Amino acid sequence: MNYFAGVDIGSTMTKVVIIGDSIVASLIGPTGPEHRKLANKVMEDALNQAHLKFEDLSYIVATGYGRINVPFADRQITEITCHAKGLHSLLPTAKTIVDIGGQDSKGIKIKDGRVHNFVMNDKCAAGTGRFLEVIAESLNVPLVRLGELSLTAVKAAEISSTCTVFAEHEITNQLANGESLANLVAGVHLSVATRVCSLVKKMTIEQDIAITGGGAKNIGLIRALEAKFGCPVLVPPEPLITGALGAALMGKEIFEKFAEEGQTPTRSGRGLEEARLFL
Amino acid sequence: MAYFLGIDVGSGYSKAVVLEGKTLRSYAVMPSGGDYKKIAGKVAKSALQKINLTLADIACTVAAGYGAAMVDFADRTSTDISCNAAGIYHLFPSVKTVIDIGAQYTRAIRLDSEGRIANFIMNEKCAGGSGKFLQIIARILRMEVEEIGDLSLTAVKPVEFTTACAVFAESEAVSRISEGALPADILAGLHKAMASKIVTLVTRVGLTPDVAVTGGGAEDIGLVKAIEAELEKGIFVADEPRITAAMGAALFASERV
Repeated sequence: MNYFAGVDIGSTMTKVVIIGDSIVASLIGPTGPEHRKLANKVMEDALNQAHLKFEDLSYIVATGYGRINVPFADRQITEITCHAKGLHSLLPTAKTIVDIGGQDSKGIKIKDGRVHNFVMNDKCAAGTGRFLEVIAESLNVPLVRLGELSLTAVKAAEISSTCTVFAEHEITNQLANGESLANLVAGVHLSVATRVCSLVKKMTIEQDIAITGGGAKNIGLIRALEAKFGCPVLVPPEPLITGALGAALMGKEIFEKFAEEGQTPTRSGRGLEEARLFL
Repeated sequence: MAYFLGIDVGSGYSKAVVLEGKTLRSYAVMPSGGDYKKIAGKVAKSALQKINLTLADIACTVAAGYGAAMVDFADRTSTDISCNAAGIYHLFPSVKTVIDIGAQYTRAIRLDSEGRIANFIMNEKCAGGSGKFLQIIARILRMEVEEIGDLSLTAVKPVEFTTACAVFAESEAVSRISEGALPADILAGLHKAMASKIVTLVTRVGLTPDVAVTGGGAEDIGLVKAIEAELEKGIFVADEPRITAAMGAALFASERV
């Protein structure tokens, strides 16, 4: 059996997926400044989970914002390509992917399982996971509780500021003026959904729409996105790992293409070593 | 000669200017806080007291700014943009472009040859080019906002920032600090990121020399120098850049009598 690994180093989380015929291990850990250097540790944990050794891996693909910091990867591929690949394998009917990450958000159009078009916002924290993080902290609500809390809202509070900094101030004021926490959190989700929706609408949206990234774990945000897009959306069972899964699948595809011609692709030749960051 | 009062109640600071004829006699600057009505009275009183006057000595008062409507002792109100234009035109008649960096808003104003507004653009959606950004920078470096300008000028190797978003820049700065970058180099990099954001706004309004910078942001010499570097032009800064709109309001008051 040949095994393939995908490593997705995002701005906030690092994900590793190992596949054989199907997924044999998947792991998610935080990407701190140190962790970006320590991609080898996350890989080691994933190998342990699958009861495999590093030498058992036939090909490794790195993706995501920190993909150049994976010395043992055989190839780097952009997260747009990997997301499309991974998601298409999980939800073949999806034609539009909305990825809400820790520090960016993206819209990807898929045609025949490939990237047809994409849009991205990594310039402004509004409409990204970072917005939710900042607001959750200032409201003193754990990030993971925002979703269920917003579902108890009577009416979403209107948040007029787009900028995270100004919105934080506005929300604190509204809370002091007696607005309920649940209504405010619902308003926050609507604000993120509005931003994401206007980003993705720069492309023609085709159904089905699938949501990935950390934002997809927030049920309140999912409901707000459904309201904004005006249709139900799909969410994969583990929305964080689609990029890493796609990377592993890309690796498998590359390896098999070479194998058809009786060859093997060139490997990086590096072991499970730490990345040296060039700063 | 008669006395005139100009009040500018901004989102961050309130300012009062007293003119005798068209000559500056006194001024005061105070944080606005939440009660605009109260602060307007307080800042006016403070400026008047410095030259032993009371409101009864004032021939006309014009109020401007975010909280202008709350100034109950004003004879009339005007917009802070036209007041700022008038104040700058009075100080520097050659200026055609004003960059006003306030607590929450950054504006680029283009003037015609008589000091009237030809065009203006305002950025109120993003903290990236505003005074709020300077406060965030100061906080993460554990400094006072008044101290960051001079330190920024001592930078040897400014840190490159990939973003002008206040939220992302804050985390980028924190990472650079933990990697051992010097505060001066971080400041210079942040000032540059801010300056490029501000210059984009200025370019949209139509950059015509001469250029002046007003508002609290103009008190940050590091930011002013960064804007000069981006524009590749020298810029005018008033001795007291926060009071130009209040001064313009007082000038309007003197014309209304």
